[in-house]
Amino acid sequence: MEEEKGKGMKRSEVNTAGSTQASKTASSAATNAHASHNSTEGSLNLKNLEVFYDKFRAVNNVSLNIEPKKVTALIGPSGCGKSTLLRAINRMHETIPNATVKGTITLDGIDIYGSLVDPVRVRRVIGMVFQKPNPFPTMSIFGNVASGLRLAGASSKDEIAGIVEESLKKAALWNEVKDKLNEPGTSLSGGQQQRLCIARAIAVRPEVILMDEPCSALDPIATLKIEELIRELRTEYTIVIVTHNMQQASRVSDSTAFFSMGEDRGGYLVESGLTPQIFTAPTQQLTEDYVAGRFG
Amino acid sequence: MSVLRFTAADLVKAPSGRDARRRRADRFMRGIMFVTAAIAVVPLIGLITYIITNGLPFLTSQLIVNSPLDIEPGISNAIIGSLQLTIASIIVAAPVGIAGGVYLNEFASPRVSSAGELLIDVMLGTPSIIAGLFAFLVVVPALGFSGYAAIVALSVLMIPIVMRTTQEVIRLVPAGVREASLALGIPVWKTTIFVTCRTAASGLLTGVVLAVSRGLGETAPLLLTAKGTNDTEILNFGSTMNAMPIVIYRYSSSPDSLLIGQAWATALVLLVIALTLNVLVRFRTVNNRVA
Ligand SMILES: Nc1ncnc2c1ncn2[C@@H]1O[C@H](COP(=O)(O)OP(=O)(O)OP(=O)(O)O)[C@@H](O)[C@H]1O
Ligand SMILES: [Mg+2]
Repeated sequence: MEEEKGKGMKRSEVNTAGSTQASKTASSAATNAHASHNSTEGSLNLKNLEVFYDKFRAVNNVSLNIEPKKVTALIGPSGCGKSTLLRAINRMHETIPNATVKGTITLDGIDIYGSLVDPVRVRRVIGMVFQKPNPFPTMSIFGNVASGLRLAGASSKDEIAGIVEESLKKAALWNEVKDKLNEPGTSLSGGQQQRLCIARAIAVRPEVILMDEPCSALDPIATLKIEELIRELRTEYTIVIVTHNMQQASRVSDSTAFFSMGEDRGGYLVESGLTPQIFTAPTQQLTEDYVAGRFG
Repeated sequence: MSVLRFTAADLVKAPSGRDARRRRADRFMRGIMFVTAAIAVVPLIGLITYIITNGLPFLTSQLIVNSPLDIEPGISNAIIGSLQLTIASIIVAAPVGIAGGVYLNEFASPRVSSAGELLIDVMLGTPSIIAGLFAFLVVVPALGFSGYAAIVALSVLMIPIVMRTTQEVIRLVPAGVREASLALGIPVWKTTIFVTCRTAASGLLTGVVLAVSRGLGETAPLLLTAKGTNDTEILNFGSTMNAMPIVIYRYSSSPDSLLIGQAWATALVLLVIALTLNVLVRFRTVNNRVA
């Protein structure tokens, strides 16, 4: 019952971006929804998605279902539009001038490109972790994790401290930083910085976390730690990860979507399915060649 | 022509002719650079020593606490006037300059942005007397010789300095920092103020201090606006005001040797204030990378 209500409110959170009254109730409801973790929350559906840079079509007619509370890997050769697609999912591409989207993306049935939807709100529900760890340089470890709450939400001090601790624990970083929360975020190692960025993304309580090659700037040990973390986070969040590392895709993901590039350099979806199937018994020759390392 | 190739054994051999030539060239270049650096630094040191030797004998406590109207005349009204005018001008120039610089970098279309940069270049290249003339022709007819006119002239000089420095330091903020903030669902305006500007905060402060130092030393625009007075004006920007550069200018051309000495002493005070300001900022920016 409580769960049902929480979910309904959360939908309205995405839908009615304008009203502060609604958003206040929605954010407290979101807390409830967060606590109870509806298992179907966070399912994404991409339909006939196309992304353009000016006239250039970087993503061509992609339709894809992304399962809730699962890890979906996006793989494919460089330049086939994986990052572009990923950024369209939380409307981050709108920060690039001349980037436009056609088609629809729904989150739990809500069109995130609907006319009433505020892109800023979308990014709170669909968070993002980038290739290069990018903690805020003038903020402490604590401040980094708290930044989203402080600048985009209205939580009390105690509440923020609790959420910061919880987020750092979920990001498997708490034990390493609990005694130096006031040190700058940039004083951490690369792998720790990336986990800090994950903690920062978790702190605003998204349903979906998008990760664009989150390990490509890290050493193998730090990479394994992040992979382990991704598998743990799956129980609470829908995760979409772009990776060039085939072993990584097969280790962390439940489903895999393979993209390639057409004659016009536009990226398209070749096939998608459960990860073991894509890696051992793909239906397309192109996929087989790619996962076997025969091209790209 | 064979390619010169060294082996480990070559490293301990006596220097060949080629090595010796290279070392001579090294020494020669280093010598030239030392001389050019000296040419730049020596006059500066000379100037400072000159100001100190001429000014120090006249730098008494009376000079600083007394006004020109006291029996033992001082320049307190000029110190107070300079501080008031500079602070008032930077209060106008800092927000306008920072907002303008941020706008040009973060929000303006490429066309507006390049037009803005051109304008800044022109303003930076404008001789300060032109700024004074502008206030003299526009503000003085309405408000008379006054602190207000001086504030207009000084802010016109300060704004482009703050704007240019703002642009430069904002440009140094990595794109990833803004992206991270936007991806957290932080609105653009908050990202700009609390993330981008905050990351660049120490640089922004440097720009403000540069502008303050510039304003402190300006003379021509003040002669055309605040004009100078023997009275002490506190927060009375509607009247003529005194300032240290005005004192230096007027006293140094006087026949009275006391006044000439006081001009040197005033120069010394000005120098110390400007230097302290710069040192303080350097200290702050080095120690406060993390707020
Ligand atoms: N800001 C942009 N403006 C114009 N074209 C862009 C922009 N960003 C990317 N592109 C183009 O869109 C296409 C897809 O780029 P994208 O970065 O999405 O590829 P990717 O699959 O993530 O590649 P990689 O694996 O190398 O990261 C490329 O042809 C690229 O040149
Ligand atoms: Mg990419």
